[in-house]
Amino acid sequence: MMKINNLIKKYGEKTVVNDVSFEIPKGKVISMIGPNGAGKSTVMGMISRLIEPDTGHVEFHGQKLHHWKSKELSKKLAILTQSNNIQMKLTVRELVTFGRFPYCGGRTTKEDEQIIDKAISYMELDEFEDRFIDELSGGQRQRAYIAMVIAQDTEYVLLDEPTNNLDIYHATNLMKTVRKLCDELGKTVILVLHEINYAAFYSDYICAFVNGEIAKFGTVEEIMTKETLSDIYKVDFEIMNIHGKPLSIYY
Amino acid sequence: MNKAIYANRKKLLSLFILVLLASALYMLVEVNFANEKLFNYAMKIRTPKLIVMLIAAFAIGGASIVFQSIINNTIVTPCLLGMNSLYSLIHTAVVFFVGSGSVLAVNANLSFVVDLLLMGLIATIIYSYLFKKTNHNVLYVLLIGTVLTSFFTSIQTTLTRVMDPNEYDTLLTSLVASFNNINSEIIVLSLVLLAALIFWLRKDLALLDVITLGKHQAINLGVDYDRCIRRLLLGVTLCIAVATAMVGPISFLGLIIANLSRQLLKTYRHSQLILGSTFFGMIVLVGGQMIVEHIFTYSVPISVFITVSGGLYFLYLLLKNRRA
Amino acid sequence: MLLYLGIEEKIFKYELAVANQEGRKPMKKHLSTIILLVLLLAASLCSLFLGVLEMNVSGLLSGNLEQIETLLISRLPRLLAIICTGIGLSVAGLIMQQLCMNKFVSPSTGATISSAQLGILVALLFMPNSTLWSRAFFAFIAAIIGTWLFVWFIQKITFKEAVMVPLIGIMFGNVIGGITSFLSYKYEMTQALSTWLVGSFSSILRGQYELVYLTVPLVIIAFIFANHFNIVGMGKDFSQNLGVSYNTVLFMGLTIAAVLTASVVVVVGAISYIGLIVPNLIAMFKGDKIEGTLIDTALFGALFVLVCDMIGRTVIAPYELPIELIVGILGSILFIGLLFYRLKNGRKSIRLGSANNNTSCCNCTPKLEEN
Repeated sequence: MMKINNLIKKYGEKTVVNDVSFEIPKGKVISMIGPNGAGKSTVMGMISRLIEPDTGHVEFHGQKLHHWKSKELSKKLAILTQSNNIQMKLTVRELVTFGRFPYCGGRTTKEDEQIIDKAISYMELDEFEDRFIDELSGGQRQRAYIAMVIAQDTEYVLLDEPTNNLDIYHATNLMKTVRKLCDELGKTVILVLHEINYAAFYSDYICAFVNGEIAKFGTVEEIMTKETLSDIYKVDFEIMNIHGKPLSIYY
Repeated sequence: MNKAIYANRKKLLSLFILVLLASALYMLVEVNFANEKLFNYAMKIRTPKLIVMLIAAFAIGGASIVFQSIINNTIVTPCLLGMNSLYSLIHTAVVFFVGSGSVLAVNANLSFVVDLLLMGLIATIIYSYLFKKTNHNVLYVLLIGTVLTSFFTSIQTTLTRVMDPNEYDTLLTSLVASFNNINSEIIVLSLVLLAALIFWLRKDLALLDVITLGKHQAINLGVDYDRCIRRLLLGVTLCIAVATAMVGPISFLGLIIANLSRQLLKTYRHSQLILGSTFFGMIVLVGGQMIVEHIFTYSVPISVFITVSGGLYFLYLLLKNRRA
Repeated sequence: MLLYLGIEEKIFKYELAVANQEGRKPMKKHLSTIILLVLLLAASLCSLFLGVLEMNVSGLLSGNLEQIETLLISRLPRLLAIICTGIGLSVAGLIMQQLCMNKFVSPSTGATISSAQLGILVALLFMPNSTLWSRAFFAFIAAIIGTWLFVWFIQKITFKEAVMVPLIGIMFGNVIGGITSFLSYKYEMTQALSTWLVGSFSSILRGQYELVYLTVPLVIIAFIFANHFNIVGMGKDFSQNLGVSYNTVLFMGLTIAAVLTASVVVVVGAISYIGLIVPNLIAMFKGDKIEGTLIDTALFGALFVLVCDMIGRTVIAPYELPIELIVGILGSILFIGLLFYRLKNGRKSIRLGSANNNTSCCNCTPKLEEN
């Protein structure tokens, strides 16, 4: 259970995140949306302890996040950030194996190997398993990282713009995987997304940010209205209903 | 995957055999076996030299790999950033301020310990600040590093001149070790120190593989990143201090051997990378010194060869990196 | 990060050139020059009366032969050598930076100094009885070839990051320096060569330094062609459009810079940071139009070297420290400060003055002391 209390983050003069509080519903998919520079990724960073808030704190399982032991936390919460560039020679399988690091240190057991196998198949990476990361395309690399997060097997999964660099096929499949992680494995998934319709179609809740503050937080139906979206993005929206989900068209 | 590990073990084994061969050759080439006295004399001269070179290779090889991994860049090494000239400066400064006749200046082991303490403190401050201030922009770090090298060297030379303008040359050689003037008094202490360092950092070294993934990933996987980096950086500093105290500053060695090791082994496993780098270092130093001693009859120091080949190699790496 | 630097620099240089022509009041334009000139004169006088042998105004006026001799044989030549050195190296740096469109290029970060040293060594090897002039000839040739090679190299490979260029230059210099050390060790010339590795004015006497006067006509030529260098600095297309032969001016400019540098190296040895720091500092205040900055750069360069020399002579008097050490310490501090400033303010510094990239290193001197 995760509660966010009055987070503030400034970079120099600029306030990037201003007094953000909300509670993350357990076992749901939550998408954070908003224009560029609205502070989504910074909030994501603070939720995942990658960024230290100036004031305020995140409560995770009844304990403040920074009181958690980093190692224990890494079994409960996994984060995938946007920038992942490594210069080392590392195969896909080796990368995914790192997902088990919080559990086994460096030595994997048979059980670990099974989880790794599963994570690799989940992301359809079987044929690339022995290829080096730096030889893959951007999309394939992204999938490898997501496989690693899956192998980490945590209650909470945080993905910062996971659909970046993915084509429609892989992006959609990723969102389906996200849905499955939530529905089948009971994980709580928090995403930063730019594609509103992915957020609308695949998540349960949407948290919309504008200028470092929460503009609105609610269920998909509550957020996906003409007025709310126009307010957030400052462009005109139309909402259509497809397969029982509200999808947006903007122009 | 296991195949790769196995293949790398084989490569490392062959490297190790080469190290043994080079060492044996170094010890025995042009030795007078017939005359026991001459033989003993040669052994007495060569043994400490060989040991010093092996230790220095390990210190530089290990430190370079670790350093490259913690800053996530393979064209930078601690020596290229002037860490070794910083050590020479600290050593000179200590002698300068306590006087060349005091216990500190006379007792090699004692002064070594004092140097190390200062080095650990000062280097950590300077380099943490440097990385922070440049936002880890590697090209800037490199550029400032090369300037720091000349900065430290200038101050050190100035101090030496101020100490005794007449005896400047002799003073300089006695203060700064080199391959023709190795410091073998501190062999035992260095070995103890390096062993203690490895023991102290064993957990952090095991984390290196994860740190390779970058800061965010490492934190995500439960690594106490900042603490780990601080400890490793301190370890790197001390390793460079040990190597510089023994054989003097050689800027490019770390760059060459660390990259050779990465190229040969193509792995992220640091235990293997460090071993590979160490073995390469041993081969280069022992083999190089052998060539210097027997082909050039001591006329050209090995550091000159390392500078030329290292410089060319660095240019190659810069250009290669640019294209990637 | 510095993507398209070339283009942006061109545009901003053009803006600056316009601003310089229109905006500055004539009085203010010359104010800095006058201040620098006064400072230089004052410092020169101080320098003349600084030294081991006694010398004072009354002695000189009363016709004390010993004192007049000291003045003429040692003090005055030294002062003139210092001034020429400062002028020569800083103007060489200015020209190189302008022609290469990169603020990081200088005699020490462009392989010029190390090439000149190699040239001197070759002269010593092949003509053991060589005179100052024949050694200078070799140094000129080597410096010119080295600089041309380096510039050809960096032009052939256009770099995204401006800092790449000095890094390449430093390594170029390191390699050439390494070759120099190798040869000097091999032929046991280290002792003989050491004079040219660490710059020092201590051995400047009448009859052994006059070569540095070469800087005077070269600087005058540079001044005459200042506009040409500016135009070439703005690029090949730009200069063709204005009817300036790009290659001719480029090669001429580089040759002047190389000869300036080499004539200093032959007489006093390597001095690293001047050619880099001085033009950048001046450009921060006065912009990039060479015509407007050349005299200031030259004066400030002379002043900088003179002050460093006076520090070197007073610290451990009656002994003296080689100037290269003082410049090495002051120059690296200044440079790192400038680099941090640039990192913090980014291009903002362009608006304030102009120079934004500053660099240096004196690493190109071969590390003989490492043996």
